[in-house]
Amino acid sequence: MPTISIFKDDLESLLALGSLAKQPVSIQQLEDWLMLVKGELKGHNQETGELRIELQDSNRPDLWCCEGIARQIRIKQQGKLKPYPFFSKKVKKGQSLIVAPGLEQVRPYVAACTAKGYRVTEEGLAQLIQTQEKLADIFGHKRKTVSIGIYQLSKIQFPVTYELVKPDQAKFTPLGMETVMTLAEILMVHPKGLEHGHILAGQSRLPILRDAKNQPLSFPPIINSREVGEVHVGDDELFVEVTGTDQLMVVLTLNIFAANLSDRGATIEPVEVQYPKATPLGKRVVTPQDLENSKTVQLKTIEQALGQELGVKVVKQALEVYGYEVSAGKGTVKAKLPPYRQDLMHAMDIVEDVAISRGYSEFAPVMPAQFTVGGLSRSEQTSDRARELMVGLGFQEIISNIMGSPESYRDQMRLADTEWGRMVEVDNAMTLTFSCLRQWMLPSLLRVEAASNRAFYPHRLFEAGDVAIPDATHELGSRTETILGVVIAHAAAHFSEIHSCLDVLFYYLGKDYSLEPVQHPSFLEGRAGRIVVAGKSIGVIGEVHPEVLERWQITVPVVSFDVNLSQLAALA
Amino acid sequence: METSALIDSLHPLEIKVLMAFGSRPAGTVLETEPLAVAAELEPSQLSMAIEWLLAKSLLIVHTETVAPIVSLTKVGEQYVSGASPIERVFSAAREVASTGKRLTIPDLQAQDGLDPSDVSKAVGRLKKEGVLLIVQGGCIESTGRPSPTVEAIRILLQQVSEASRELKSFPEAHRQVIEDYAVKRGNAKEPFRVDDRVTRSFTLSPAGVEAAAYLAQEGVAEEVSQLTPELLKDGSWRNKRFRKYTISLRAPRIGTGKKHPYREFLDTVKTKLVSMGFQEMRGSLVETEFWNMDALFMPQFHPARDVHDVYFVKNPTHAAKIAEPFLSRVMQAHQDGGKTGSTGWKYAFNAERAKRLVLRSQGTAVSARTLAAAPAVPGKYFSIARCFRYDQVDATHATDFFQVEGIVLGEDIHFRTLLGLLNLFAREVAQAKEVKFLPAYFPFTEPSVEMHVRHPRLGWMELGGAGLFRAEVTLPLGVTVPVIAWGLGLDRMAMVALGIHDIRELFTDNLDLIRTTRGIF
Repeated sequence: MPTISIFKDDLESLLALGSLAKQPVSIQQLEDWLMLVKGELKGHNQETGELRIELQDSNRPDLWCCEGIARQIRIKQQGKLKPYPFFSKKVKKGQSLIVAPGLEQVRPYVAACTAKGYRVTEEGLAQLIQTQEKLADIFGHKRKTVSIGIYQLSKIQFPVTYELVKPDQAKFTPLGMETVMTLAEILMVHPKGLEHGHILAGQSRLPILRDAKNQPLSFPPIINSREVGEVHVGDDELFVEVTGTDQLMVVLTLNIFAANLSDRGATIEPVEVQYPKATPLGKRVVTPQDLENSKTVQLKTIEQALGQELGVKVVKQALEVYGYEVSAGKGTVKAKLPPYRQDLMHAMDIVEDVAISRGYSEFAPVMPAQFTVGGLSRSEQTSDRARELMVGLGFQEIISNIMGSPESYRDQMRLADTEWGRMVEVDNAMTLTFSCLRQWMLPSLLRVEAASNRAFYPHRLFEAGDVAIPDATHELGSRTETILGVVIAHAAAHFSEIHSCLDVLFYYLGKDYSLEPVQHPSFLEGRAGRIVVAGKSIGVIGEVHPEVLERWQITVPVVSFDVNLSQLAALA
Repeated sequence: METSALIDSLHPLEIKVLMAFGSRPAGTVLETEPLAVAAELEPSQLSMAIEWLLAKSLLIVHTETVAPIVSLTKVGEQYVSGASPIERVFSAAREVASTGKRLTIPDLQAQDGLDPSDVSKAVGRLKKEGVLLIVQGGCIESTGRPSPTVEAIRILLQQVSEASRELKSFPEAHRQVIEDYAVKRGNAKEPFRVDDRVTRSFTLSPAGVEAAAYLAQEGVAEEVSQLTPELLKDGSWRNKRFRKYTISLRAPRIGTGKKHPYREFLDTVKTKLVSMGFQEMRGSLVETEFWNMDALFMPQFHPARDVHDVYFVKNPTHAAKIAEPFLSRVMQAHQDGGKTGSTGWKYAFNAERAKRLVLRSQGTAVSARTLAAAPAVPGKYFSIARCFRYDQVDATHATDFFQVEGIVLGEDIHFRTLLGLLNLFAREVAQAKEVKFLPAYFPFTEPSVEMHVRHPRLGWMELGGAGLFRAEVTLPLGVTVPVIAWGLGLDRMAMVALGIHDIRELFTDNLDLIRTTRGIF
């Protein structure tokens, strides 16, 4: 989730809106307040006043900016959210944005507004750009669902049109470039075109925003025009637009920008978006728009979930100081989200806000009183028992990564193209070193052996842990089973030495076993056997093949066994 | 040191040497060889004993003489069994004299085993002695006179092969021959070697005399190094002396059977959880996206489901099917909330995507499976599950790692019992008395809590996250009571307990490190 950079002075100014006076905020105070926004202070530069804050809630994009954080804290100070006037404002005549047919297939939705009377400061501009980036990147899935453009209003003449053009039909000088380029050229040459062009892959016509003079504003979601779409410090009239594939997210994003600019002192004027056909929000959609997200919840539901009697009054107050509009009924509350939020899916979302608004420390912990019996799974009991026995036999336990490489799990074991060499491999490995799951235990132990020739001998090692065994008959294509792997390595390591250990282990596990000769490529022929219990082969024992040792660059003999503890436990 | 204590510290070899002197008149001086005979010791044993006794100042060197000693070289040994080059040249000359054949120097040099330079040297010497003549055509003729050199070499080879002898024990004429035929720098191929040999003679120091007298008087019990079954059986241990050990030396290292230090830590956590009434759950390393994410109400467009966050299985790519009614109910919950009282995420759920096989990325997947398998109510469950994250491996990120997670189900579960449970974890698992609860966000819980504790050694640290499972998670899986979902972040605590700074060392291949880490938790 996003980590943003804000400035303490800017935050203090934004906290001081309305009737509140600007005051210095201590870090201690700030950390307490950050609980209201699920924020964590990650860094504080005392010289510059820069604060680095991580915001946890991926459903609260309104909080990923200085204005949003300040707003949430401010409401608590003021007792109630002062309604933003522009959500009920009439559209100025002609301030419209016309959507041409065909965009349903490309990037259907748009929302826009103007902001006048706020002279952009250096800090304000940095925040504006940061918010734009975080929202488009994280909330807007790297601009796929939502992207944002901000322009100098003075250079734009309404109505603005949102339409499709052929890639070489329109051209303008994009931000960051010196020359006029067609949309096709932007996609091929401009860094943003290269980065985000895939969003428009396969489209024969591309989206463009133009004003009444046919002047290009931008090529959404790729890049703005340098002429119109570059905001400077000192500008005091802005045009903001949001395009995207999800209408509610597009409108919400614009609502957040409108509220932010309003908090900084701008007067917001809505824009009417005129679609060629009806959309979920209608054919003519005025933005910003309050999406009227509300829910009626039983007081009982809230009290049960929180484990505390609160009463309607307390709940109402808690929600109001958190920004909700609340009307209380008899044993119910109807809570309406502020227009810059849209994260109300379930009554429990309101329950959490009650708790956050009151503060988690207001709720006294109590112990769950109901009695339960603890215990370990059969598989864990078996491996605990096996581990205990192996320790008693003088073996050192090892724990290894389960993820590894086909080279170590298969090829170095001479198992390529054999039934023992089949493994669960991943499609999107970052490196070959970690690209498959182990299918048996011996390679994990040879890994240690290969790295430890300076550790005094003898080496007696074991690991009991999970492996993934491919199995076409299993619903997941593989079975996760617990394997015990054991090795002995020293100059005179011998089959009978490891055989004795196996014998002791099985005696105390209470299982009868027999060994049947097996030709296993990882072991010397004639010195390897299947471990058979109740007619079922559940492991292998033997002297490790010298070629395997060579491939691992191990210079002492190694004897080993692998036992499938899951299968062993399942046998009567 | 008291004489008796001194005697106790003596090695049996030292005692033999002291007693050899003790049985002779005071002031006896013995050279090495007679001393070896008197003490009944092998030369190597004697030299050890002498060095020890000299170091203890019980023995002193009386005289030290240096004398040249003549011995045979390898070449000399060969001449003993065969013949020296000069003798072969001499014989060859005698032989042609009787047969009348011609013999030249090149003829001799061509003979088997004769070195050209040896031949030249031999001919020169014999000519000088008047034994040979070089006549017209370079032919060699014998004068019939005997050669003193040949005679001397034959005798010397025989004498020296029996034993090395001092140079001065040979007559003057022979000494000259030895010097002429001894290895020198630049000529290694000679039969004789003359070395300086140091001969030392020893006598007892006053302390040695005292010790020897003590030994002669008190006698000494036979010293043994090891108590044996035989000594016990016949009771003869009573007449033995057990050599004392230097017990301040370091003990030799031995390998031991032992749990992995990280396992000891995890076992402690496991035991704590069982003692708090938690039942262990197990799950699969490979899971479907459905159980790993969909069932946990993580929308299919969630950033954490990106190809850069989860490992996808290569083959097979998809599970054959997802069990009903879970698939339909979860799909409904995502799309419009279904019967969960939620509005849902409002998008088209892709049932095929739900079947995509991935490596388990969170332990919560195991909890989701348990919820769907008719868990006990009230019930407490935990798992210590290996999970996989698509991360660049470095000091703080491992490709696979353990997650300690679980659930608590019950009629009396609510926000305050959630906090109560976390308090218990803080106390039992981290031995922390101070706890802070912070609002947090997880896609599958509401309300969500992050627990920070003041660890006795680490100070404030995040111990874990928890929350009440959303109805969108529990109801589709058939659970109607409230459920706590909790997870503990124990890696940092484990790393401190094990004294390591790199998370990769938890799974290290360094056997020395594993053997020497104590792993006290």
